[in-house]
Amino acid sequence: MEGKLIAVGRALAFVLLALGLCGVIFEFAGYSALEMFESIADGAFLNPNAWQGSLRWALPLFITACGVIISFRSGYFNVGAQGQFYMGAIAATFVVDFMNGLPAAIVVPFSFVGGIAGGAVWALWPGYLRVRSGADEVITTLMGNFISGLILIYVTGGILKDPSGTGQVMASRPVAIAYRISSETGLSPAIVGTAVLVGVLMWVLINRTAFGVLSSLAGRNPTMVVWQGARMSRLGLAGFVLGGALAGLAGAIEVLGPNGRLVSGFLPTHGFTAILIALVAGLSISGAAIVSLFFGGLAAASLYLPVLVGLPAAAIDIINAAIALFITARAAPGLGWLIGRRSRAAGGA
Amino acid sequence: MEEFVVATLRYGTPLVYVTMAGVLAQRAGVWHLGLEGLMIIGCCASVLGLVQSGSLLVGLGIAVALCVAASALLWFVVEKLGANPIIAGLGLTGLGLGGSDLAVQAIYGSQATINAPIGLPRLGHQFGNFGVLSVLVVLMPFVVFGLWVLLRRTRFGLQLAASGEHPFAARSVGVNPSRMRLIALCLGGVLCALGGAELALGSLTIFAYGMTAGRGFMGFSAVIFGGGHPVASAAAALFFSIVGAMGIRAQLLFGDRVPNDLLLALPYIATVIGVWISGRLRGGAKAASSFGELRDY
Repeated sequence: MEGKLIAVGRALAFVLLALGLCGVIFEFAGYSALEMFESIADGAFLNPNAWQGSLRWALPLFITACGVIISFRSGYFNVGAQGQFYMGAIAATFVVDFMNGLPAAIVVPFSFVGGIAGGAVWALWPGYLRVRSGADEVITTLMGNFISGLILIYVTGGILKDPSGTGQVMASRPVAIAYRISSETGLSPAIVGTAVLVGVLMWVLINRTAFGVLSSLAGRNPTMVVWQGARMSRLGLAGFVLGGALAGLAGAIEVLGPNGRLVSGFLPTHGFTAILIALVAGLSISGAAIVSLFFGGLAAASLYLPVLVGLPAAAIDIINAAIALFITARAAPGLGWLIGRRSRAAGGA
Repeated sequence: MEEFVVATLRYGTPLVYVTMAGVLAQRAGVWHLGLEGLMIIGCCASVLGLVQSGSLLVGLGIAVALCVAASALLWFVVEKLGANPIIAGLGLTGLGLGGSDLAVQAIYGSQATINAPIGLPRLGHQFGNFGVLSVLVVLMPFVVFGLWVLLRRTRFGLQLAASGEHPFAARSVGVNPSRMRLIALCLGGVLCALGGAELALGSLTIFAYGMTAGRGFMGFSAVIFGGGHPVASAAAALFFSIVGAMGIRAQLLFGDRVPNDLLLALPYIATVIGVWISGRLRGGAKAASSFGELRDY
C-alpha cells in the first residue's frame, strides 16, 4: 500500500514537472501561463457543465487505455492505438451502412463486433510480424497509424461519402438515429455500461487469471515465463490483438455515440492520449479509471479553449506531450521493467 | 528519368539528414523516436525565423538552436531522469507538433500555412532539370560520407560506438558515455534542423502544420533497416524516397484510376516492409529487446 502511495506521488510529481515545462513554453510563445492553466482547469472541471464533457471524453479513452495496458503489460510497445481506433471506427461504420434498415437490436451489436474486429485485425499484422519475424513493433504500429489515417480519408471521401456534405469536411453518411447509442453529449447507459464492463473484465483478466499473471511476467521476466513452459509469442500476440480490439471498440462507440458519423481525421490524438493514461496509471486498470478523467478533462478543455477563451487548443497537445516526455522517468516505480527492457537493448542507456 | 531523380532527391534529402541524426543516436545507444518532433521544429523555426527577420541565416540559426535545445532536453530526460527513450521520444515529437502549432497561432492567430518569401539557395538553371535542387541536396552526400568517416575512422567515432554498445568498456578507458550521448544527440539536432529546413525551404518554401508526415519515423526505420551504418541507412532512406517519388509519379500517371490516398500510403508500406526484411535478416528487434533470444516457436 505504501509502495503504491509512493508511486502515485512520483507520478504526480512528474506531471507537475511537465506542467512547469508547459508554463515555460506558453510564456515563451507570448501567452500568460497562469491564464492558460486557469482556463484549462475551468474548461476541464471547474465550470458547471465541465464534468459532463470531461466524462464524455474519458469513457472512450478509458476503453482504449485498457487495451494499451494489456499490450504494454505483455511487454510489447503497441503504440498503434490510434490506427486501431480508426480501423474500428471504419469497420463499425461499414457495418451500420451495410445493415441499414434492420432493427437496432441487431445492427448495434454487429457494429460493435465489427469495430472490435477492425481494431483487432489492425493490431494483428504488426503483432504477427513482431513475434514471427522480429520486425520492430514500434515502427510497424506507427506506420499503421499513418496508413489507417489515409484509409480513413479514402473511405470518407469515396465509398462512404455523404453526398449532401458541404465538401469542407469529408465525412460519411450520418448514422441513423435509431442506431445511435447516445446523443451528442456522449453519455448514455449503453456507453457507461460498456466502459464499466470493459474495466471490470480487464481487471479480472489481469489480476485474477493465469493469462494476466503470465503476460505481466512476460513483460518483466521473459526467461522465467519460457522456463515455465508458456509460449511467449502467443501471449504477446494475444496482448496485441486484445489491445487492438479494445481500441476498435472505442472507435465504434465514437461513431455510434457522440460523433454520429465517420469524419476524416477525427480525434487525431486519441491513441496517444490513451497511451499516456496507461503510463500515468502505472499500467493498472483501476488507476486508469481515475487518470482517464484527468485526460478526459484536458480533451474537453481543448474544445473549450479556442471557442470560449480564444486560446489555441494546441496548448493541450503540448501538455500531453510534456507529460509523455517525463512520465516514464525511472523514479516512477512499476514502470522500471519498461525502462530496463529498452535500455538493455540500446546498450544500457 | 531526370525528373524522377529530381523528385527522389527532393523527397529524400530531408529524410537522409534526419536518418543521419538517427544513426548518430543509434550509435550512442539511444532509440531516437523524437526525430519527427525535431524535424517539425526545424521546419517551423526556419520558416518563422526567415519570415520574421527576413534573413535566411537567422531562420536557420534559430532552427538549429531550438533543435539542439530540444535534443539536450531529450538527453536530460532519458539520461538523467532515466525515462524510457521510446515514450520520451514520442513525447518530444508531440511537443514539436504542438509547439509549432502554438507558435504559428501565437504569431498569426490561426492555424494557417505560412509562405516564406525566399527559399534555400538553388543550383540555378545552368544545371538543367537539376537546377531546382537546393544546396543542401548537394551537401547531402558529403554529410553522409563525413559521418561515415567520423563514426568509422576517428577516435571519437569509436568512443561513441563503445558508449552505445558497451558503456562499461567505454568508462574503463576514461570515456564518459553520458557526455558522448549528449554530443551525439546535439549533433543530431543540427542535422534534424537542416533536414527540416530543407523540407520547408528546399522546394516548397512553406510551413504547414504536420508537414513532416511521419518522415522522422521513416528516418528512424531507415536506421534500423541500414543496421546503424551511415551509408547503408542513407541508402535505405533513399529507397523509401524512391517509393515515395514513385507514388507521386503514379498519382500523375493514373491518379484517375487508383485512389490518391492509397498511393500516398506507399512510403509507409515500404517502411513496414523494410523493417520486416531487416527483422528477417538480422533478427531486427532481436537486438532491440530481451525477447529476441527467447522466441519459442
